[in-house]
Amino acid sequence: MQSNASLEYDYSVAKLFTYTTILFGFLGMLIGTLIASQLAFPELNYMFGEYGTFSRLRPLHTNIVIFGFTLSGVFATFYYVGQRVLKVSMAESPFLMTIGKIHFWLYFVGALVGVITLAMGFSASKEYAELEWPIDVVIVIVWVLWGVSIFGLIGIRREKALYISLWYYIACFLGIAMLYLFNNMEVPTYFVAGGIGSVMHSVSMYSGTNDALVQWWYGHNAVAFGFTVPIVAMVYYYLPKESGQAVYSYKLSLLSFWGLMFVYLWAGSHHLLWSTVPDWMQTMGSIFSVVLILPSWGSAINMLLTMKGEWNQLTENPLIKFMVLASTFYMLSTLEGPIQAIKSVNAIAHFTDWIPGHVHDGTLGWVSFMIMAALFHMAPRMFKREIFSKKLMETQFWLQTTAVVLYFTSMWIAGITQGMMWRAVDEYGNLMYSFIDTVTVLHPYYAIRALAGLLYLTGFVMFAYNMYKTITASKRLEEEPQFRSPMAA
Amino acid sequence: MFHWLEKNPFFFSVGVFVVIAFAGLVEIVPSFAEAARPIVGLKPYSVLELAGKEVYKKDHCIACHSQLIRPFKAETDRYGQYSVSGEYAYDRPFLWGSKRTGPDLHRIGNYRTTDWHENHMWEPEELVAGSIMPAYKHHFTNIADIETAYAEAVTVKEVFNTPYGDEIKAGEEAWNAYKPQVLEEAKAIAVDMKHPEVHEALKKGEVPEIVALIAYLNRLK
Amino acid sequence: MNSMVIKALGVSGLLIVATLAMVLSMDIDLNDPINAMTILGAIVIATATFGVTSKYISQMKTDKAEGELTDENWDGIGEYKNELPSGWAYTFLGTLIYTVWYFLIGFPLNAYSQIGEYNEEVKAYHKKFEEVHKTSDIQTLQSMGQSIFLVQCAPCHGNTGDGLNGKAHDFSKRMSKEQVLHVINNGQNQLGYPMGEMPAGMAMGADAEAIAVYVAGGMKGEQPAAYGVCAGCHGADGQGMGGMAPSIAMYDEVLVGHVLEHGKKGVIGKMPSFKTRMTPIQEKALTVYIQSLTM
Ligand code: HEC
Ligand code: HEC
Ligand code: HEC
Ligand code: HEM
Ligand code: HEM
Ligand SMILES: [Ca+2]
Ligand SMILES: [Ca+2]
Ligand SMILES: [Cu+2]
Repeated sequence: MQSNASLEYDYSVAKLFTYTTILFGFLGMLIGTLIASQLAFPELNYMFGEYGTFSRLRPLHTNIVIFGFTLSGVFATFYYVGQRVLKVSMAESPFLMTIGKIHFWLYFVGALVGVITLAMGFSASKEYAELEWPIDVVIVIVWVLWGVSIFGLIGIRREKALYISLWYYIACFLGIAMLYLFNNMEVPTYFVAGGIGSVMHSVSMYSGTNDALVQWWYGHNAVAFGFTVPIVAMVYYYLPKESGQAVYSYKLSLLSFWGLMFVYLWAGSHHLLWSTVPDWMQTMGSIFSVVLILPSWGSAINMLLTMKGEWNQLTENPLIKFMVLASTFYMLSTLEGPIQAIKSVNAIAHFTDWIPGHVHDGTLGWVSFMIMAALFHMAPRMFKREIFSKKLMETQFWLQTTAVVLYFTSMWIAGITQGMMWRAVDEYGNLMYSFIDTVTVLHPYYAIRALAGLLYLTGFVMFAYNMYKTITASKRLEEEPQFRSPMAA
Repeated sequence: MFHWLEKNPFFFSVGVFVVIAFAGLVEIVPSFAEAARPIVGLKPYSVLELAGKEVYKKDHCIACHSQLIRPFKAETDRYGQYSVSGEYAYDRPFLWGSKRTGPDLHRIGNYRTTDWHENHMWEPEELVAGSIMPAYKHHFTNIADIETAYAEAVTVKEVFNTPYGDEIKAGEEAWNAYKPQVLEEAKAIAVDMKHPEVHEALKKGEVPEIVALIAYLNRLK
Repeated sequence: MNSMVIKALGVSGLLIVATLAMVLSMDIDLNDPINAMTILGAIVIATATFGVTSKYISQMKTDKAEGELTDENWDGIGEYKNELPSGWAYTFLGTLIYTVWYFLIGFPLNAYSQIGEYNEEVKAYHKKFEEVHKTSDIQTLQSMGQSIFLVQCAPCHGNTGDGLNGKAHDFSKRMSKEQVLHVINNGQNQLGYPMGEMPAGMAMGADAEAIAVYVAGGMKGEQPAAYGVCAGCHGADGQGMGGMAPSIAMYDEVLVGHVLEHGKKGVIGKMPSFKTRMTPIQEKALTVYIQSLTM
């Protein structure tokens, strides 16, 4: 095992992205909790006039957690992991340092403008692609800058072979680049119409069923390359690193990676089952989703097997707990998704709360758990201080685990009930329930979900506080810890 | 062979790109032209309806409402004939949605009317006990951006050959000439409406968002 | 099986039981194939995920990590050359076989059509519906009517048919005084009766007032003399002369049929047409139900 003592990594960009991860994480989950509460208690819609309705806030929630929280986390971890597994320091290249800084600031400004314009009501109304064209332009530039960072670092690397995490970061970069560009093809109306109307407004290049196809080819894979691929990149680095264990199987890593790359893109049409897209496309989406279980589970199993024999680490180190639980929730959502993609099941599941349930298995249990664990792991190394409180971390873990379980079980039951009630017929063959019956029956479940949100948010505030104290007030470290992160009791 | 790839970032990246790009090509390209063809008799949205669609987008009704009736007896009983591809030919963007916190709206124009929408958007709970839909009172005071809607009509006509008449063309002047037509259409809808602020705005030559929105909802058939 | 796996399966069992309890309390028919598949799917998700993960997690307790390391090492992270876990590999193969089966045999890519499936489904429903109807008495029709009403009509007319504070027609009586007066003053031509249009202004002032009170009162008590002009079309009893003009005395099947077909715009507001959306049996059921709402 070589030591990196000779190499001083430069974490300034990683630190900046760490701050925005926490900022946007808090904001996104705060809004998430608010909209969850609004569905249970509609009076909460009127707190900020027209800016406070569920419908105005929902895209804010999704955009902030995706393009704010998750993406910041991806960038933060990349600027950390990238240097270390390639064995080069950003400090060695003033050019890459500058690119990294511009990358951050442009990203931050773009994200703020995005949030403001969405709140004001500028929206293309395509899910996860709501941002209007001027912000798209900023995002594309930000992405190119990230690409320069990735391939720039790779260009000056000392480690010949790319570590698994980098495979996934590269795939994330390429995948999102391709998807985002195609789905956001739009024509600004101001210019074509000879300078009338709003400059922000645009129309999609595609119409109707075509637009749907492109949108969900994007939407599904934005999940794949935003919520899956870069998070897998994280788990492949942070779990072995924190535990000091070698990755269980190279073959499994390899097959899972290429399997995931190959299969994921076919599955997008599972968002369009029973719609007006041709039957054969729906069939492709449905069956490839089922195949997708294995490449997905492959990575998770690889991680769980990496921890084989390390029971004591699981019980003693809350960071390992976070990552093992994240892998478990990854397995839950990547089995639940494929089952929901079976046409008969989708006939019930689509349009119901079971889908947001599935979503938050992934986002709360997998994405957020992994990102928080990664940030915790990086903190002692980046700031050269031990983690402020292990006890707080433990409490946070149990609070948030409870929250995820409450979230997904309530939406699971709610969604299945709702979907079946929509189809139910009485003894004469007429519809048994009016629509509103299927709404009011969900009230208790919406209330449970709101409670879950509150618990999760509280946990996140603990996390933020713990990080803050770690950065500012914790005991200084003389030497970088090799594996397990040091933490005060 | 794979190990070799992992040492050659360039070929590795090309490999990844090829593997992820071709599924899209195979699935999306073949029926692209087919899916964009309108059904016989389909008319493009009027400028007022487009303005209403903007309200629908701005306030993100898609968060709770779908516009896609799937071919199940239970859905066609509740909402009417299942949706077919050609009906969406002029929908940019498509607004199928992915969540039905509220009911589907693809054919709402068939079974709800202007006065009902007026009451409902003002205070849903008054019509449907237990409704969790927010009241959109601000639609009654906000003014719809019909100019941008006109710009959209010009754009889709110029760029995508959407069949609008000759009077829809670029420029301030053409817009000023066209505007009275939009106001007429709005007034025809407002006849069935009670709120005084709606009528006052129309007198001033402005279209409240609610009128445009109802024009759009009525059009969904 | 070790204790952790058993506990995990217990937890998934709990979730399934809770789901079933909720669904059954809503009278859901689990014999319906779609519902059955969904429940089966839910069971698979819960048991497979919790079962398999707890198996691997319990290995952390019992097994030991071993194997041959590769030469590479990144930032202190090594890698074993272990073989694929066989359960994983075989299941992968299994899903591939499923794919080929689905693709070629189950729902062949060139032959399966979801619209075709829909048509079958509708046919089956209609057959069942007609069978049930053969035996329908008034009681059955009324409860059938009520359930249709709650789904299709209640958003406007209210769950009890009271018209929601004047936002739509109130079924607790045939018509209000305002409605009758409005028709007398303005005439009406929307419902498509053989008589066609009802002209405006056939009665004025106090006469009109008196007629309106009488009609709105359910045509009980003494008939005002001025009602004579109305009788020409609506009949002395107000029943509409066997379908020539609407019955203004009660809700009969002819009236409901005409309103559903044409919709109606009146002094209260506009009711949309339900043309083609109701079968004759459903119309009859609705009539019976609406009649039951009128005192
Ligand atoms: C928080 C979720 C939510 C949002 C956001 C929402 N709705 Fe609704 N909507 C509902 C629910 C629930 C119902 C059913 C109960 C009712 O009729 O109020 C409904 C019903 C409707 C109906 C009647 C449909 C029917 O078949 O009876 C219309 C029309 C409608 N909404 C339009 C809109 C429009 C337009 C917007 C956006 C400006 C919107 N809704 C935003 C939840 C929502
Ligand atoms: C020339 C024939 C004729 C005469 C005379 C006539 N009606 Fe009518 N009435 C009709 C027809 C036909 C309709 C249906 C109109 C339609 O299609 O909307 C109608 C509709 C009505 C309605 C509305 C019923 C509904 O359900 O919408 C009322 C109330 C009514 N008449 C009351 C009267 C009264 C009161 C008088 C006497 C002052 C009167 N009618 C005289 C032919 C007549
Ligand atoms: C979008 C709202 C709406 C829906 C849905 C609706 N109605 Fe109505 N209906 C009205 C309004 C408004 C009136 C009153 C019209 C007037 O006279 O001003 C009305 C009137 C009626 C009348 C009395 C007409 C007359 O002239 O006497 C009948 C009968 C009726 N509705 C039956 C039904 C039935 C049955 C259904 C469901 C299958 C239904 N309606 C659904 C709005 C609605
Ligand atoms: C094997 C992997 C997966 C498959 C096959 C899959 C499948 C599905 C299906 C079938 C839907 C529902 C579509 C609908 O009917 O509306 C869905 C929705 C969704 N899934 Fe997954 N899923 C997978 C993994 C994940 C993971 C790991 C996440 C991470 C967070 C995730 C996030 C989402 C999101 C955000 C949606 C909602 C999309 C929308 O807005 O409609 N999925 N998925
Ligand atoms: C405190 C935690 C959170 C709560 C209470 C919460 C709540 C919600 C609610 C209520 C919705 C709308 C569901 C609906 O329309 O029915 C939603 C949607 C969504 N949330 Fe969250 N959320 C939280 C955290 C997150 C996080 C951290 C992420 C991502 C990393 C995320 C990603 C999403 C996505 C992708 C959707 C859209 C789902 C869909 O369209 O199906 N959420 N959330
Ligand atoms: Ca965009
Ligand atoms: Ca969605
Ligand atoms: Cu998907």
